[in-house]
Amino acid sequence: MKYAFFPGCVSRGGCPELYPAAVKVCERLGLELEVMEGAACTGAGVLQEKNQLLGDALNARTFAMAEDMGLPIMTICSTCQGTMSQAHKRMADDPAYMAEINEVLAEEGLEYKGEVVVKHLLWILVEDLGLDTLKTFITTPLQGLRMAPFYGCYIIRPTGALGFDEHPEREDSLERVIETLGAESVEYAGKTRCCGFPILTINERNSVSMVANHTLEAKGLGADAMVTPCPLCHLNLDGFQPKAASMRKTSIDLPILHLPQVLGLAMGMDAKSMGLNKHIISAKKLLSSVALSA
Amino acid sequence: MDVTLNVRRFDPESESPESRFQEYNLEVEDYFTVLDALIKVREEVDGSLALRCSCRASICGSCSMRVNGHAKLVCKTKVRDVANAQNQVTVEPMGNLPVVKDLVSDMKPFWDRVRAVKPYLQPEGEEPEAEYLAPNETMLHLAGVMSCIMCGACVSDCTAIEVDQRFLGPAALAKAYRFVGDPRDDADRSRLQMYSQPGGIWDCTRCMECVQVCPKGVAPMDRIMGLRDMAIEAGFSNNNGARHTEAFTDSIKHSGRLDELKLPLRTFGVFNVQAMMGLSLVGLRAFLRGKTPPIIHKAIPGKDKVRRLFDKVEGKR
Amino acid sequence: MPFAVEEEIIRHDAVVLGGGLAGMRAALEAARCGADVAVVSKVYPTRSHSVAAQGGINAALGEDDSWESHAFDTVKGSDYLADQDAASILCREAPGDILELEHMGVIFNRREDGRLAQRPFGGAGFPRTCFVADITGHVILHVIWEQSIRDSVATYDEWFAVSLIVEDGRCRGLVAMDMRTGRLHTFEAKAVILATGGLGRVYEPSTNGLICTGDGMALAYRAGAALMDMEFTQFHPTTLFPSGVLITEGARGEGGHLLNALGERFMSDYAPERLELASRDVVSRAEQVEIDSGRDVNGCVMLDLRHLGRDLIMTKLNQIHELAMDLAGVDLVTETVPIRPGMHYQMGGVKTDVDGRSTLPGLYAAGECACVSVHGANRLGGNSLLETVVFGRRAGRTAAQEAAEEHFVNLTPAIAREQAERIDALLSRSDRGIRTAALRRELGAAMQEHAGIFRDAAGLGAGVDALHDLKNRFEAVSIQDHGSVFNTDLVSALELDNMLDLAEVMVTSSLERRESRGAHARRDYPERDDDGWLKHTIALHTPDGPRLEFGPVTITEWQPQVRSY
Repeated sequence: MKYAFFPGCVSRGGCPELYPAAVKVCERLGLELEVMEGAACTGAGVLQEKNQLLGDALNARTFAMAEDMGLPIMTICSTCQGTMSQAHKRMADDPAYMAEINEVLAEEGLEYKGEVVVKHLLWILVEDLGLDTLKTFITTPLQGLRMAPFYGCYIIRPTGALGFDEHPEREDSLERVIETLGAESVEYAGKTRCCGFPILTINERNSVSMVANHTLEAKGLGADAMVTPCPLCHLNLDGFQPKAASMRKTSIDLPILHLPQVLGLAMGMDAKSMGLNKHIISAKKLLSSVALSA
Repeated sequence: MDVTLNVRRFDPESESPESRFQEYNLEVEDYFTVLDALIKVREEVDGSLALRCSCRASICGSCSMRVNGHAKLVCKTKVRDVANAQNQVTVEPMGNLPVVKDLVSDMKPFWDRVRAVKPYLQPEGEEPEAEYLAPNETMLHLAGVMSCIMCGACVSDCTAIEVDQRFLGPAALAKAYRFVGDPRDDADRSRLQMYSQPGGIWDCTRCMECVQVCPKGVAPMDRIMGLRDMAIEAGFSNNNGARHTEAFTDSIKHSGRLDELKLPLRTFGVFNVQAMMGLSLVGLRAFLRGKTPPIIHKAIPGKDKVRRLFDKVEGKR
Repeated sequence: MPFAVEEEIIRHDAVVLGGGLAGMRAALEAARCGADVAVVSKVYPTRSHSVAAQGGINAALGEDDSWESHAFDTVKGSDYLADQDAASILCREAPGDILELEHMGVIFNRREDGRLAQRPFGGAGFPRTCFVADITGHVILHVIWEQSIRDSVATYDEWFAVSLIVEDGRCRGLVAMDMRTGRLHTFEAKAVILATGGLGRVYEPSTNGLICTGDGMALAYRAGAALMDMEFTQFHPTTLFPSGVLITEGARGEGGHLLNALGERFMSDYAPERLELASRDVVSRAEQVEIDSGRDVNGCVMLDLRHLGRDLIMTKLNQIHELAMDLAGVDLVTETVPIRPGMHYQMGGVKTDVDGRSTLPGLYAAGECACVSVHGANRLGGNSLLETVVFGRRAGRTAAQEAAEEHFVNLTPAIAREQAERIDALLSRSDRGIRTAALRRELGAAMQEHAGIFRDAAGLGAGVDALHDLKNRFEAVSIQDHGSVFNTDLVSALELDNMLDLAEVMVTSSLERRESRGAHARRDYPERDDDGWLKHTIALHTPDGPRLEFGPVTITEWQPQVRSY
């Protein structure tokens, strides 16, 4: 299984520990990656609100590059996944729009033929690798741990753009991966909500309130950690958790793990190599429980 | 088929008015909507169950409620599509609104938001003797927005309202878009200025809940994004939201990637020391953990190509 | 005693009962005439059933069209029972009202040149139906509601009216229950405008919303105002099975075909010229004959839009595409949909003059709850939205002007107390009695059976007996909800009480009219009888049931002729 790897900006920028963790985990799982070094940011929905054609053209450029590589794209970011999926759908639904975009790409000698497959690592685990296979890699089952799934908006909405009709299993893929790793998945309302990252610099109070609501809800239901397939969610839920705690005048201390990190843990990979020492909210306690259960 | 409706009940007149779930087991026809099932409960099992409904045809907007945790128009939702493997369906009143009784939500905060956007045409100058001339495409586009039935589903599940009741929210802002987008309305500038205030268009988190739950395909979030674009174009860019978008766009244009370090600086403006300090504390913490973005922002290989693409597309507008 | 009576009297110059198009338009006009006006509605205004009107609103705007031609079509459609002075006002004022709506913000579909587009509709000699895709009523209602916000019209949302107040032969207000609290309030007004819409739930199935229970008609009837032409009930040709939900006439206006089980366009046998676009009574009867003759598909005939193409369906008939998909699982682009005729509209109602005055001083009415009469024995598609704005406006203006001449008489909550006793009596019954819904279903079935598309003396007689029986059994109806807050169980019972009175008037009037005219088709009297029956039926309330009288039809220009399409 080989993929054109689109790492996204945050896993190498705002949270630089996430990228190497993902690479190492994929290597262990036998997922061969070819990094798309020349691909630009997806626009994350922000660029699209200013100029949708521009955002979609950037993604079409990435798609065309993947087509040239002859590989499906793998993302490790809910936001990248959703933004690309939406661009893909808009072009698939409107051939004239796609032609307009291809006209822009022609300058660089690229053409998008409309056949790209874009999949988040989370979906690859369920659909390509298979959860049974994933199980065979697990050396340190996360027995006794309660993990709260946190999807990130763009990997679950709108379902029409994300292939949920053909792949209904995507709806609870994160819970099923968590369970495959041996942990218990915590059911709570916040799991499909917004982490607050997109408005962090616009309305910090609201953004941090979201962090507080979701982490406190999960914590209240006995979660030991939260798992997210999205580096942006990770950035906000981890980085702004201290602020959320002081806003609510309480302590939260809920480690926020990016999906590859939790995979690495269950596969017995070194916590440090997973970058788990670099989080704002310390994962120490969590790591010692993993060690105990091993 | 036999189903179990798990309905959240609330009776404000009971001695201890707290909501509780009540199970109703009943037989439903294959074509039954959740509304049909609730009506059957009300008519045949428990007359005290309160809910709103009228048209049964997803046009009056009365019967929004949460089904299995998400807002739905229940007259448009088939029981068989939402029943789980045990044939159970959970029905609750909408979120983000107070509850009057059982499945009846207090819609006042909803209507207050709609009223706040000045939801009526404001033409200027002499009325034409005949109709205003307008392109049919524009009218059809606005019909898509005016398909909104004010059911409240988007407000129920709005993640921004959940943390801030001051946010105007998706339905009201979609309504606002309908006027800014109407060629007969002459108040675009004052509208865009008003909608750019705190609690307005920039407080949307782009979570797409409203797009997902809207039963009429209005896609309120897309309308909010449209308003943002128009607000920036109209020059209402002296706010964090507009600056954020501009900075984001610039970063990609010049390096192909997002520069997280510069983003807050540009968003708050150089002089907003307080906000910068707040964010930099997080930066400091991140630094102590060794989790810090590279100080020198690295561009992607071939960034010039991306820049040319920007120039070409931006030249088209 | 859960149903408390509020001592304080709420006073407005004019109170409009009903927040649909006629009511909101009346309120706007009254406000613009300087009256202090309030709208009292049992639902939020945008929930009113005007919102469900799909196809369009008529006005002679075309250069080759004329209001006279529109009026003639209306009179012919009415089978010559419409009052021609009223029909002329409706059609003459239509263009002005359409332009006013456009200026208020209605986003009517346009032609290439940017002017208003118009589509063909049944029974019309000219394409004169303005439209907003297939959500015309929805958009107009929302726009009028927007205007009411602009003009700060007071609304009492989710207040259920239980009685009018008549003192010294004049209507002086009403009693309404705030559903949020259950308290009964007295409204004193110098003018009361009824705009409560239709009574479709008297039948089962019906295209009407569950709120269409004829409340205003029943209140007026009990208060002594005359009801008129209650035997004329329109059955719409295209309603979905089994829900009865409406498919717009626009579907046929845009070129849709009706097919029987043999795949034949059967309308060529019934209306060789206008085919599917004959008037509604003609098309519905044709469908019923096909169904009764065994050329049906499970009690339905088929509506075929496939030849119209995806683009047209998705832009102009988008909502019905969605409804057919949601409720019948049919994709109109690729499949035909089973439809059948179903109760849709009540031509009769509170008798008014062309300015909205009922026969009871101080009481006005407009819209479906009124009978002006512009629809006579059969209404044309696209004329009901028009009626709401034209006669809503006229009633609002008249009421405001006449209110200015009146004084408050300082009402007491006496009537509210009487109503509280009535409600308390209902609530204090055993809750093991008959369920409201069971009786309502029996009512719907009885009306469908005895007063359906085709009627005869035996059936209608059985209908009258059924109504007497139902009214007796209503005395044993029980209410399970004993609370004050949002007691929909109680409201349903009060609505059923209203419907039973109206249904009795409908079957009694139908039995009396021994001819066939428009939507009233008697198997035992299959011909129209202008000598004997070119007259309005007027029903007045007595303790023993309706007393019928007859009144003249106003004929100005168009003498009755043979009606064919």
